[in-house]
Amino acid sequence: MEIILEDFTKRFGDVTVIEKMNLKIREGEMLALLGPSGCGKSTTLFTICGIHRVDGGRVLFGDRDVSRVPAQQRNVGVVFQSYALYPHMSVFENIAFPLTVRKEHKNTIREKVAEIAELVHIGELLERRPEQLSGGQQQRVALARALVRKPSILLLDEPLANLDAKLRLEMRSEIRRIQLETGISAVLVTHDQVEAMSMSDRIAIMKEGEILQVASPTEMYQQPINDFVAGFLGNPPIAFLDAHVQDGSIHLLDGKIQFDFPGSSTPTNDTKIRLGIRPEHYQPNNPIQIPGTISFVETQGRENLYDVMLDDGSILRSIQSSANASIEKNTKVNWGIHPEKLLIFNQAGLRF
Amino acid sequence: MSQNFKNWPILTALVLATVPIVLMYSYLVLDTITNTEPGGILPSSFTLEHWRFLYEDIEGKANIWQVTLNTLVFASSVMLLVLSVSSTAGYALSRLNIPFRREFLAGVLILHAFPSITLIIAIFLILQLIGLYNTLIGVIIVMTSLQLPLGIWIMKGFYDSVPWEIEMAGLQDGASRFTVWYRLVLPQVRPGIIALGVFSFLSGWGEYILPTVLAPANNVQVLSGYLASLIADDRNFEFNLFKSVGLFYATPVVIMYLFFQDKLMNIYGGGTKG
Amino acid sequence: MSLSAKLGYVFIAPALVLVAVFFLTPVLLTGIFSFTNMSTATGITGGAYQITPSLLRDLSDQGFEKATLDSIGSESYQIAKATLQIAREAGSEPSLLAELEEEHLGQNFTSRREFERFLKKLQNRPRSTRELKSTSPHFRKSLINERFETEKDLKAALTELQTKLTPDQINKLSQAAYTGWVWTTDNFYKMTILPETKQILFNTIIYVTFTLLLFNVGFALFLAIATFYLPKGQAGIFRALWLLPRISPSVLYVVLWKWLTWDTGFLNAILNPLGVAQRNWMLDTTLNAWVFVVLINGFIGASMGMILFSSAITAIPKPLLYASEVDGANRWQQIRFIILPQLKWPILFVTVYQCLSLLTSFEQILLSTDGGPGSTTEVWALAAYHNALDNYWGNLQYGYGAALALVLVVIGVIMSFIFLRFFRFQELVRQPRIEQ
Repeated sequence: MEIILEDFTKRFGDVTVIEKMNLKIREGEMLALLGPSGCGKSTTLFTICGIHRVDGGRVLFGDRDVSRVPAQQRNVGVVFQSYALYPHMSVFENIAFPLTVRKEHKNTIREKVAEIAELVHIGELLERRPEQLSGGQQQRVALARALVRKPSILLLDEPLANLDAKLRLEMRSEIRRIQLETGISAVLVTHDQVEAMSMSDRIAIMKEGEILQVASPTEMYQQPINDFVAGFLGNPPIAFLDAHVQDGSIHLLDGKIQFDFPGSSTPTNDTKIRLGIRPEHYQPNNPIQIPGTISFVETQGRENLYDVMLDDGSILRSIQSSANASIEKNTKVNWGIHPEKLLIFNQAGLRF
Repeated sequence: MSQNFKNWPILTALVLATVPIVLMYSYLVLDTITNTEPGGILPSSFTLEHWRFLYEDIEGKANIWQVTLNTLVFASSVMLLVLSVSSTAGYALSRLNIPFRREFLAGVLILHAFPSITLIIAIFLILQLIGLYNTLIGVIIVMTSLQLPLGIWIMKGFYDSVPWEIEMAGLQDGASRFTVWYRLVLPQVRPGIIALGVFSFLSGWGEYILPTVLAPANNVQVLSGYLASLIADDRNFEFNLFKSVGLFYATPVVIMYLFFQDKLMNIYGGGTKG
Repeated sequence: MSLSAKLGYVFIAPALVLVAVFFLTPVLLTGIFSFTNMSTATGITGGAYQITPSLLRDLSDQGFEKATLDSIGSESYQIAKATLQIAREAGSEPSLLAELEEEHLGQNFTSRREFERFLKKLQNRPRSTRELKSTSPHFRKSLINERFETEKDLKAALTELQTKLTPDQINKLSQAAYTGWVWTTDNFYKMTILPETKQILFNTIIYVTFTLLLFNVGFALFLAIATFYLPKGQAGIFRALWLLPRISPSVLYVVLWKWLTWDTGFLNAILNPLGVAQRNWMLDTTLNAWVFVVLINGFIGASMGMILFSSAITAIPKPLLYASEVDGANRWQQIRFIILPQLKWPILFVTVYQCLSLLTSFEQILLSTDGGPGSTTEVWALAAYHNALDNYWGNLQYGYGAALALVLVVIGVIMSFIFLRFFRFQELVRQPRIEQ
């Protein structure tokens, strides 16, 4: 089902945390709400499921305006960060609870629970209590409980935050598999860009109660709308260099390095700009060379990460395959960038 | 805890201080089944005659079983009422969006420290006015009301520690607020309910002033009043009898104490935390 | 109204009603009653107007004319519509009544003898002395002991008597004749002039100070620290033993103390062979009474402090204690410099809380010394109880008792507000996270 937030506004007391937000979740897609903590992504999630009231605007499930519909009647499945399994009930009773309160027939309940348990691979755990399960198993139970009543939409609130690294990888693909298999629209709330990029069809990136950009992970990575988005996506992160435009070319390091402004709409003279350079785009053999000294080396196994300090003290990052011989700290290097791969931002942080 | 210091000086001091308690309570048990020569310290003979009050009424006194039944009805009604009213009101104050929630909470907090016994004169007159004087129901309601601020306070503390996510999950699963409370939250605060239940039962069981002042009639007498009137009566002044009645009276208390000691410690520690 | 507010009201309503009727109303009523002279004699529901012989005596002391008072106090026998009606309802002989009504309506007799002599001469006269004696009282008219529901009725009756009372005197009389309770500030006046007040105030201060300092705080500290240094098992036994007085029904608990101190009690059984004269240790001297009042209450009161202090001590990080031992601190230094500073707040809390509860508690004193010997251990709360609910004369002084209690209620209210400061109130009233 398609979910639409229309001019959605949310206040806590006198503080407006979200003002006139617009967002559309397409049928069957997994949309990630990505942003630092306190950006309003959880507030948005709690509003969609009905735990928070809407202070302005509308929430639409398909054609139905649910802004004033209580949570119980919205048919939204939620997986909470802490999973929120009912400690005094068995796994079976937990999953069956949504059906029990709907007073469905016992046999129907048993069938549906068995079916969903099969889907999330917990068929043999039904008699256990939540405290006897591992984190990953609890996560699966929470998923099963959210999905068993065939909700209009599935909301996942930081679903992987409480898992250790190995389980996190496993559940990442599991959640995605289950979402694809059921074909349900889903919203994933996370502060982890890797999670967002690997699990979702589209990402909505949020900052201070505002959605900055909604796009597919690849598009957002390659075409970020501003420096915040560019900085938030990508690990190791993007590096920024200050520069300015003079006579149609970009001047770096007090004009020691100059090259033509890529693209058609060249800014006027003396426009201050910032260049965003991703580590994979600062490499040996690239056309525009920016010399510097290696100030830090981090070995990541498959790859090596180098911090390179330029003459004016700013830092560029480069990531290179560790198949090449590793380079010592304090070595002078003369690696380069490619103008076409640059992300160029104006003084306000917006991209040209 | 620490092994760096000697323990025996402390132990000696403690033992000496505790002697009166040990003496009083061991003789409480001992004297009910023995006789002691006048002026003697140790009992001289075994007897069960001090327990005769169980099968024959003491002259001028109510039937012990009737009195016990009254006490049981009184204490368990107080317990049930305190539990049901506190567990609902505590939930409302902890979790529900009611207007004036702040003010209610401040009120509960103030009343929970308030010395309710000073109100007994006014309560006595109120019961006379509304016609509940000399009835068990009257004392039950009064006792319950006076225990409520503490009860609500304790239950609120327990509800506060239940994760919000459990309730949110319940709402998403389609349950009403009532169902969420009854089927999801209430089971989480079971320790609180048990502690408060035991506490209010014991308070009711041991209460002396309220029943004595508000329901002095013989047919609604409770064990505290029965024992007190026995002692006040000069016709049969016999400590071994008092103790037998007292032991009979205290047995349920001791049993509950043994079972729920840890939970009670929390509440007797001032009721400041759940 | 939101769904949760509706449920909230349903959930909180029973508590609100009970607390309002049996907690807040009593607070209010204690204030109201303390400004009345309510007692067993006046009743509590209001009263009527009644002239009693003793009232007339009082009035004559106040300078009312003797003759006037006599005329008010005199009785007469009247044959009137009203008296006939009373007699008819009481079932007197109808033929007699008919005769009286037709031929003698309006006649007055000044004494019963005269009236009965008159009756015996009638045509339908009563046939027996018994009938005569039962008929004549219906015609009696007297203000003495007659209940008038309103002041107006009384005044009308007085006017009818055609006494020589001035309007001012009539007012005074009717006021004095009121049997119900009236508003007054006499209770507080009485409280300030009675010597007993000074005594019970002094007693209360002694009782609270000694019990609080010696036991509720002092001994509780000793128990908490001592059990802290003991192995877990032993500590548990001592804590359990010291909780016994608190959980035991108070009547039973006091019996045990009485057994210990009675004339033929345990103390005497031990001390007698040593040459100490037999006596009632609890009541034989004022000092002894106080010792036992403090002991009895202190043994109960020590447990709360013990529990609170114990949990505060356990909360002290262990490395802190180990470090102090490594640094060479002896036990006393460890207690003085590490443990006691951590107990500052719990000690303050226990002091305030227990001060309030000691101030208002009287159950154990009532059961043990009952304020005796004499009234040397009568504390304020017990005095309020004795005056209002349990005194020797049977005329319970609700008004005065309430005034005494009001003093405690006011102290209670003030100190309860102080408690608000002990709790981080803002944290307790955080907004509910589900906005339904």
